[in-house]
Amino acid sequence: MLKISKLNAYYDTIPALKGISIDVPKGKIVSIIGANGAGKSTLLKVISGLVQSKNGQIVYQGNNIANLSPDKIVRYGIAQVPEGRQIFIHLSVKDNIHLGAFLYYKRRNKNDINNRIKHVYEMFPILEKRSQQIAGTLSGGEQQMLAIARALMCKPELLLLDEPSMGIAPIIVQEILAVIKQLNKSGTTILLVEQNAKAALEIANHSYVLENGEIALEGLAQELINNPKVKKAYLGG
Amino acid sequence: MDGASTSQILQYLITGITIGSIYAMVAIGFNIIYNVTDIINFAQGEFVMLGGMSMVLFHVILGIPIIIAFLFTIILVTLVGLIVDRFAIRPIRQPSVLTLIIATIAVSILLKGIAMFAWGKDPLDLPAFSGRTPIQLFGAVIQPQYLWVIGLLVVTVLILTFFFEKTIIGKAMRACADNPDAASLVGINVKKMIMLSFSLSAGIGAIAGIVITPISLMEYDRGAMLAIKGFSAVILGGLGSFPGAIVGGLLIGIIESLGAGLISSGYKDAFALIVLLGVLFFKPSGLLGNIEISKIKRF
Repeated sequence: MLKISKLNAYYDTIPALKGISIDVPKGKIVSIIGANGAGKSTLLKVISGLVQSKNGQIVYQGNNIANLSPDKIVRYGIAQVPEGRQIFIHLSVKDNIHLGAFLYYKRRNKNDINNRIKHVYEMFPILEKRSQQIAGTLSGGEQQMLAIARALMCKPELLLLDEPSMGIAPIIVQEILAVIKQLNKSGTTILLVEQNAKAALEIANHSYVLENGEIALEGLAQELINNPKVKKAYLGG
Repeated sequence: MDGASTSQILQYLITGITIGSIYAMVAIGFNIIYNVTDIINFAQGEFVMLGGMSMVLFHVILGIPIIIAFLFTIILVTLVGLIVDRFAIRPIRQPSVLTLIIATIAVSILLKGIAMFAWGKDPLDLPAFSGRTPIQLFGAVIQPQYLWVIGLLVVTVLILTFFFEKTIIGKAMRACADNPDAASLVGINVKKMIMLSFSLSAGIGAIAGIVITPISLMEYDRGAMLAIKGFSAVILGGLGSFPGAIVGGLLIGIIESLGAGLISSGYKDAFALIVLLGVLFFKPSGLLGNIEISKIKRF
């Protein structure tokens, strides 16, 4: 579905990604693990168009989407849940969710949008309770749920998740991981970036280990969990 | 100073609220652009000036009926706002907020020059919308045009509130103000929203220019002073806050009017600047500004 080949990206002159090649097959969960500064977030930002790449290709369903602007890439059905949530903190929860459907916001889609809102509220009931609240007043976990809900409003076929477990209570992390699995079951392909390597390896089919902007290891997630190198570096021995 | 009677104070207040309504509209224009882009648009006063001048052109010189001339003027100035964004703001490569602000200064000088060539240097007059027979109220004199100014401020605020609170485009503009990257991730074209913010501000500036011209005339170089007063109102009310812009604008108008009447009309233009400095020294977040936000703001 998404095929990245020999991708390079720079912050000014400092290389952040060095010849990355990644394959995300349709219907799978692919995770990318790695330490701080390994380039995980940069990779997601390059896919969603927030960061420009230098050379290499990002082919999504046969189209090269490298270096299109983010608002165009969303139209292809790729939604990103950005690192640190990035919800619209001064807007209400409801408005945040409505804006997720910005591209489809036409009168004739009204029913469709309402159904989708119902769907995300079923997924995260707490958001319905808080729908009139200003988003900045939500807890970290609730904000993460809102960020996911907002991304789901544009009916993505490929969902990019950037560190959804960051700064969130473990019990909520479990809840969010369950939702990700459920989304995947209902047909959404998922590319997950995580520092929480254990969680990322547990739910993924295939995983990549990123180190200093390069792919250090790749393989079936089940195999990587038992790989001694991965165990030592990312799973705490 | 001790000679000021109640009716005189009332007169100053009414005049102050009227002129303050204009400052409030200028301030709202500043805030719309600031909220979406972080830019202080120094050409905001020129939008007001162009509004007044174009209205004179359409209504007085070309003889177009007042309502149609009103619409033409708003459309024309809105287009100017759009052109400003398209040709002065968007082409700048690697924009920093500072370079963009300097670009708006250039635009303001350019618009002033164009207006001077187009309309000449003399102040232009526009007939008042409902005549100039004053209304007496407790010994104070109210020009019918005052009511138009205040009424149009109310209408503008109501329409804008509806736009930003209820429409998806308005919400999308607020989303850009909140977090441009996240806005682009849900499919909002941030550049279009910036263009829209310039057009909208220009349109509101035009309304202010149209209604104030019958009271105080309009000339090519009025923009700078209006911008300074409007900017003082923005800072007094709190940068980025719409209620703040209205409160700030009205207060600056009233302070100016009382100051000119009770102290000296020679210092009329100084009062707004004194308030501006005072706020910046003692409460930089303004009356209704968010302290949290003022900490992360770049200016």
